[in-house]
Amino acid sequence: MIDVHNLQKEYVEEETPTRALRGVTFTVNKGDFISIMGPSGSGKSTLLQILSFLDRPSGGSYTFEGKSIDDMTDQELAHVRNKDMGFVFQSFNLLSRLSVYDNVEIPLLYSDILPEKRRTLVEEAVRSVGLEEKLNTEAGKLSGGQKQRVAIARALVTDPNIIFADEPTGNLDSQSGLQIMEILESLHDKGRTVILVTHETQTAEFANRIIRMKDGMIESDQTIATRRVRSNLK
Amino acid sequence: MLLRDALKTATRSLAHSKMRSILTMLGIITGIASVIIIMSLGDSAKQYIVGQIQSMAPNMINVQPGAPVMGGAPSSVMGLVVKTLTRRDVEALEREPSITNVSPNVTGSSRIVSGNKSKSTLWIATTANIFRMTNLNFSSGYGFTSADETAYKHVVVLGSKLAEDLFGYNIEPVGKTVRFEDITFRVIGVLEPKGSGMFSMDGYALIPISVGQKQIRGIDYYQELNIQIDPTYDTAFVKTRIISILRTSHQITDPTKDDFMVTSMDETLNTLGNIMSILTIFLAAIASISLIVGGIGIMNIMLVSVTERTREIGLRKAVGATDNDILQQFLIESVLLTFAGGVIGIALGAGVVGLVSFVLSNFFSIGWVFAFPISAVILGLAVSGISGIAFGIYPARQAARKNPIDALRYE
Repeated sequence: MIDVHNLQKEYVEEETPTRALRGVTFTVNKGDFISIMGPSGSGKSTLLQILSFLDRPSGGSYTFEGKSIDDMTDQELAHVRNKDMGFVFQSFNLLSRLSVYDNVEIPLLYSDILPEKRRTLVEEAVRSVGLEEKLNTEAGKLSGGQKQRVAIARALVTDPNIIFADEPTGNLDSQSGLQIMEILESLHDKGRTVILVTHETQTAEFANRIIRMKDGMIESDQTIATRRVRSNLK
Repeated sequence: MLLRDALKTATRSLAHSKMRSILTMLGIITGIASVIIIMSLGDSAKQYIVGQIQSMAPNMINVQPGAPVMGGAPSSVMGLVVKTLTRRDVEALEREPSITNVSPNVTGSSRIVSGNKSKSTLWIATTANIFRMTNLNFSSGYGFTSADETAYKHVVVLGSKLAEDLFGYNIEPVGKTVRFEDITFRVIGVLEPKGSGMFSMDGYALIPISVGQKQIRGIDYYQELNIQIDPTYDTAFVKTRIISILRTSHQITDPTKDDFMVTSMDETLNTLGNIMSILTIFLAAIASISLIVGGIGIMNIMLVSVTERTREIGLRKAVGATDNDILQQFLIESVLLTFAGGVIGIALGAGVVGLVSFVLSNFFSIGWVFAFPISAVILGLAVSGISGIAFGIYPARQAARKNPIDALRYE
């Protein structure tokens, strides 16, 4: 599904070049649940941004569903982000003045899905995260856990193949964090590919593969036979 | 993104900050209202002035002595004494079937005295038919006759304002005497007031042509001929006839050597209309400067809005919005702001124009016509829409160019 080879990313800040990624190579298969871990500055968020088409690499190759990112225009990347990818952010990134419905609908506004079909899709997505009773509530009035569930509903509404989550439990208490991870786990169980970035071991252990990064390189790529010890989060 | 969704998103965003949206629109509202008011009042003024001329002098052609200077006004108007229009011309013109009346005149300025009151005023020495030709009515008395002209009778018709200045409100001027140029005139009539229009005779004195021309000025030429044409004839045709008659009378064979200038009322009205239109456009152009100021205000607020909503832009881009989607969203917001400002400005302008018309008609007795040209409305809407695009494009481009990662990180 995803194939990256010798991926490089270099930033120039105040005339000083910083190499965030120094030759990352790995493959993501359909149905993988991958946690990317590492200390601050290890390049894990940069890797997620490139994998999710929010940024382009400075070097190396990235192939998504058999097509090189180098051959895709910004418009095509936006289309793939909308159709095939879902995003969950640490800080939720909800528009607080809008209702749950309107927030979840946002990705559909940029899709080719007809307006009359949208309501059903939004309601299904909101129901899947257990917030159907909050459909018309302003997003700003929800708790942190509820906000992240709305964000997951927004990520799901276009029925993407792959979900990227950047520290999805980072702003939540342990109970809410567990609920979010259980939702992501259930999405994976339904066949979706999930890639999350976290620095919490308990969260990472929900995945069946953990990639550890250090200084812009992959330190280890470990497949876990038995997933997470859930009690750690409870 | 569908236009419907973009409109909904933009409307919601503007509604979220109502007060800011209203304050932002103020510049456009005042700009559009100013343009609308100037255009509408200009149109009303044009209709009023044209109406005044038409009511006072229907089917009129005017002849001035002297050749047109540089294609413009005749030399007589430029201050030169030209003696080419004479009694012979009048008699020749009176024989033309398409002409119903010819009224020559001579003017002068004198201090008119009545008892212990005096007033410096313009007098017009003319023929009796001028009262019929220019629809002049009397509030008291009557006009002089052809017999008065022939008999050199010292009679005068006063304009309403002049009569009031000389005799006050309580004394009936008819039958009284006034004195100017060492001649005592008996007042035989007072004209009805015509208001403060540019063709008002309210401040003038009218005397028989013979008295003004021969006794006061001592000349044998006229300063002007006013000709009333038979309405069944075409004005252009009659004008051609007049030119032909005067050339014959003046023995002119080369048309470039004409020593007179013939102007029909239609031409005067057209010229006046053009001047008014140019003046209106000029003033509207000045007023539109405020639209530029308003537009800059819109641009400023839109830039603030783009900065405030950086994370929203990042999110929208992350979930699939293209640069064009973002550009469209902010451009629509800007156009909605200016367009709404334009609609309010038009309504405000209409209100002010209506109020001005009401005040002028009811409190100043001026026959003012409420004019609200559709062209002003179309212009107002078009200008507001265009300024939305012109002043919104830069902030919208700034929004569209934002990098999604930087935008999502923005605090």
